[in-house]
Amino acid sequence: MLNRRDLLKLSSVAASSLLLPAGLRPAFAAGEDITIGAPLPMSGPFAANGKFGSMGTAMIVEEVGKVLDRKLGYLEIDTEGKPATAVRKVQEAMERGVTLFAGGILSSEALAMGKEVAKGKGVFITTAGADEITGSECNKGTFRWSVPTFGAIEQTVRPLIEQLPNAKRWYTITPQYVFGDGLLNAAKAIFKEKGIEHVGNSYHSLTEKEFSGYLTNAMAAKPDALLILNFGSQSSDTLRQAVSFGMKKRMTILLAWASGLEQFETLGPDLMEGVYFGAQYWHGIDSPFNRELVAKVQAKHKMNPNYAFASAYLTTKILIDAATKAGSTEGSAVIQAMEGMKYTGLTGDEEIRAADHQVIKNYYLLKGKAKSAMKDKDDYADIISFGKSFQSPEQAQCKMA
Amino acid sequence: MIYLFQLVNGIGLGMLYFLLAVGLSIIFGLLHFVNFAHGAFYLLGAYLVYDMTERGLNFWAALLVAPIIVGALAALTESVLLRRIYHLPHTFHILVTVGLALMVQELVIILWGPVGGNVPTPDALSGVFILGDFIYPQYRLFVIGLTLVLAIGLWGLLEGTRLGAVVRAGSESTDMVSLLGIDILRVNTAVFALGAGLAGLAGALAAPIRGVEPFMGVEALGIAFVVVVIGGMGSYTGALIAGLLVGIVQSIMTTLWPEGARLMIYLGMGLVILTMPRGLLGRA
Repeated sequence: MLNRRDLLKLSSVAASSLLLPAGLRPAFAAGEDITIGAPLPMSGPFAANGKFGSMGTAMIVEEVGKVLDRKLGYLEIDTEGKPATAVRKVQEAMERGVTLFAGGILSSEALAMGKEVAKGKGVFITTAGADEITGSECNKGTFRWSVPTFGAIEQTVRPLIEQLPNAKRWYTITPQYVFGDGLLNAAKAIFKEKGIEHVGNSYHSLTEKEFSGYLTNAMAAKPDALLILNFGSQSSDTLRQAVSFGMKKRMTILLAWASGLEQFETLGPDLMEGVYFGAQYWHGIDSPFNRELVAKVQAKHKMNPNYAFASAYLTTKILIDAATKAGSTEGSAVIQAMEGMKYTGLTGDEEIRAADHQVIKNYYLLKGKAKSAMKDKDDYADIISFGKSFQSPEQAQCKMA
Repeated sequence: MIYLFQLVNGIGLGMLYFLLAVGLSIIFGLLHFVNFAHGAFYLLGAYLVYDMTERGLNFWAALLVAPIIVGALAALTESVLLRRIYHLPHTFHILVTVGLALMVQELVIILWGPVGGNVPTPDALSGVFILGDFIYPQYRLFVIGLTLVLAIGLWGLLEGTRLGAVVRAGSESTDMVSLLGIDILRVNTAVFALGAGLAGLAGALAAPIRGVEPFMGVEALGIAFVVVVIGGMGSYTGALIAGLLVGIVQSIMTTLWPEGARLMIYLGMGLVILTMPRGLLGRA
């Protein structure tokens, strides 16, 4: 029988094996191979996004197999969603010869990693949201696929105002930090231009979970439309509570920065029906390359690609294509190949702007469907409109060093 | 007028906070045990309701069953693990219960995934109550009503029954109660299960309002501690007053100074600690 001494010995062995650095697990043996770093939050609150991102990276790497006559592999790097951990692990990966990175879901980790990779003369492409990434803190080594706040508002608030000419009074709920203000300022500019009355705004902290107070303020202002400018679980909480206050029946609700399928699965059709959402990606996008990806993912994983999956797949593909074009994995050569690169992307024709390394792509306005109208379990929303809106690199305050 | 809305909304919030905190307070009062796993019981209550409604079970049945399962699990935990560490300093209580909370959280992620989900409001209460300009979700009104009934029932239990007398006596002197021939170990288990069951009920009731996600327990624990510290450790009435106070302050601040609505709760707690170290109604 196991006595206490044995148990202690066993558990110390177990504990020390748990302490081995699990964050750096090469999917293929290093050496002469080309390895792409995939720094994603694989643990912590954003682990779900990281998991799908990693699946997307794995899929494109397996698909391509070989680049420049060398075997292609990837290195999954668990950032834990923490900038300091992300930077440390990216440094370690660079010491092992990795120069190309696709990942970073949270703005804070993406900003930190971008600087670190640029310092090490590597290339980093991300899908994080903060405007600074290709704005005031842009740098030579960092590229961004997702549309910044300006475009997200231009492609959601503007078309909705045109669709709903009677919605003259808008109320906003905004998280109080740079991201929220980015969205809010873009919305205010459109309100002013279109003669919309901005009847009020509630700022809230980034840790807020209870929105009933803010919604009470919003209802008291009697708006025609409620514009929700927070994201992730905060936007789900805001929407859930707004629906419980009967606001869906009294006004139009727009959630400008939704994360797509990942978020819709947690909301469900009852909450989503009739609500408008802004999104970077949706598996229902009608483009040849996206249709191809959806078919492949369904065949392989029996699911539809969500935003984390699709964006990791595409950003990794951009790095591979650029390395092929450059004939090298050296940072400066790949950067040169990426600047101005035009390609067929998931959202149609996409282009990497050389001046600030921002990808010029579509942003989508979706509308939630009734449960009875859904054709399959993921058919939560229809695309209402889409388009490309971007500030110039100067307006975005990017001064590339 | 808007302040009146916020006051009502604050009372609604406050009743939920009371339910969340009163179990923690009772457990501390009798067992002198600092239970950092309290949020985990709240989390479990919410997820059990989520799981059962996802499987097609009626919400009301789930609302009844979930807290009972949580209470039973808590009783098991208490009799197997926690009662062995009561005599140790508080740091050990924290160590063990934080560990327990982390285990429950990870277990929830393993069982139900890291993403979270939505619990639909029961059809009968999915509408809104309208009085002039005042609009309030019927479900939240129901929560206020139910919590009020529970608060009265709980007060009756603690003040009017023999079990209540034993609990109150036990919180004064455990040894004396033991000497009187009462099986204090069983009372301890019962009280711990009751406290945890109340947290489970709070989680179950909150699920249609907040949805479920694996990290909701941590947030709930924070609020519960604020309420208990303001109200006074171990005080039933203190938990009620403090719960309402926190709810109302939070709600009214969202109109006065929205950015600081959350900050004010913690600032309020700091003030109470400085001026009344035992809380509003705490004992020595």
